Formats: sequence, structure tokens, C-alpha cells
Amino acid sequence: MPIKSGGFSRKSQASSDVPDSSMADIAFLLLIFFMVTTVFQKDRDRPIVWPAAEATEKIDEKLKNILNIWVQRDGAIFINDRPYSLGEVTAVIAPLYAASDRALVISIRADREVQYTTIDQLQKQLVAAGVVRVVFATELEQSMTRERR
Amino acid sequence: MAVLDKKKSKVSDKVPSSSMADIAFLLLIFFLVTTTFPKDKGLAIVLPEEGGEVQVAQRNILHIIVQPNGLVEIRRGESPQVQTTPANGVEAIWRQEVSENANIIAAVKTHPQAPYKFMVDVLDALHTAGAERISLQLYEG
Repeated sequence: MPIKSGGFSRKSQASSDVPDSSMADIAFLLLIFFMVTTVFQKDRDRPIVWPAAEATEKIDEKLKNILNIWVQRDGAIFINDRPYSLGEVTAVIAPLYAASDRALVISIRADREVQYTTIDQLQKQLVAAGVVRVVFATELEQSMTRERR
Repeated sequence: MAVLDKKKSKVSDKVPSSSMADIAFLLLIFFLVTTTFPKDKGLAIVLPEEGGEVQVAQRNILHIIVQPNGLVEIRRGESPQVQTTPANGVEAIWRQEVSENANIIAAVKTHPQAPYKFMVDVLDALHTAGAERISLQLYEG
């Protein structure tokens, strides 16, 4: 019995196309994976009531050049989520300030009821660390709320 | 007519799904581009350099003393005269002083027990009035 067509012209039944209908699904899967695993460097929010000021302006500086110093109502100081005492601030800030090529802006995020003596000592510590640019973080006050007060 | 009933419509009844991913990415890119993160905001000041203390003539100093109750005492230079005002009155006083003496410096002296917000109120008033020469000190009196 002769073999039909010499046995050579039989085509493979498997498709030669790479399946591309699920390509978008793979892309989204990757996207969601990276979204979920990415962690942003951000301070934990502390329970602070901002002081209000009408002259509040936006800080014209890159986010990575802003260092936040949090001062809670009880006078506790936090830098990068770690508590420090007032005397340690200079030692903590000075190397960071030098590493940033003196471009660092310190944002003092203090509660409105903090006693001024704490802020004053903090300022003296910053001066000792050589810091020049400081921002008192405030909330924008509308003139309407000021009149009601 | 039986023949016409058998005629099927040539239009496909499927929603085209090949461009769905493109639409999704277009939306994604749109929101990526239009999202802005809130910027930090506050009152900017410049601290003096260490040891860079400058002697200023008393007549060029406007002493602004912030009391623990939020009231502000204003003293001009060495004059013993004291004027008491709420924090929002500082703006008008500063404008008045600058028009009389362009070299004047605001020395904001805050009582150690005064809440931080009262100092911010005074600083706010000075910023609003366009003051640039501000010195922040602790009140020792």
C-alpha cells in the first residue's frame, strides 16, 4: 500500500502563531505586581494640628530635598519616623545636610500648641548644624475664617 | 415569505475586544500624567549662620513681644513706651514703621511658655506686610 503523498506534505496541526490575546493580561499583571510591591519613602503622619497662616506659600524645592522635623504637642521630636531628644538634633541633621550639598530645606512640622521654648531650642540646634533654609509648615488660612475668629 | 426569513444579518454581534487593552493603557497614561502630588507648604525663613551675629542700632529695631495669651507688645528701639495689640494688628504697624524707616528690623521675641501658633500668627502678619528682615528670638525678661 503506497503511502499517500509520499508522507511528506502532511501539515502540522499545531498553530505557528504565538498567542497574543493574553499579552495585555500579562502586562497588567506585571503592572499590578510592581504597584503593590513599591514602597514610597514617606513619614508616618503624626497627630498634629497645623498652625494657620494667610501668607502660606508652596515650598519651591524638590521633595527629596525637604526634611521634615515633627514636633508633637507633648514636645516629642521625630525625624524620619524616629524619636530624638532636643540635644540630638544637630548630630542627626549635620551629616544629612552635608550629604545633600547644603541644599536641604528643613520643614518644621510643629503642633500649634507647642511651647515656643521647644521651637527656639530646635532653631538653635539647626543653626549649630549650619542649616540656613527653614520652613514653618502651616495650613493656608482663608481670610473668611480669620474674620470669624 | 419563507426565503427571506432565513437570511441572516452579516453584521457581527460581537463587541470588538482587541483594542480594549489600548483603551485601558490610554486611560492609565492619562491619569499618570495628570496626577499631581500635594506640595509641602509653609512660611519660609532664613536662619542666621552660626556666629554671624550682627549688631543693630536700637533705633532700627522694632521689638515685637509675643505674650503667652497671644497679645503682642510693640516697643520701638529703646523707647519705654509699650503698645499692646492683637497679632493681626502687627501688619498695619509694620507697614507704618517701614514707611518711616526703611532699615527697620523686626525682632520677634516670644515668651517661652507661649504656644507656637501665636508666633506663627505674628510671622504671618509680617510676611503679609512684606517684611524680610525678621529675627526670631526667645523673650528673656
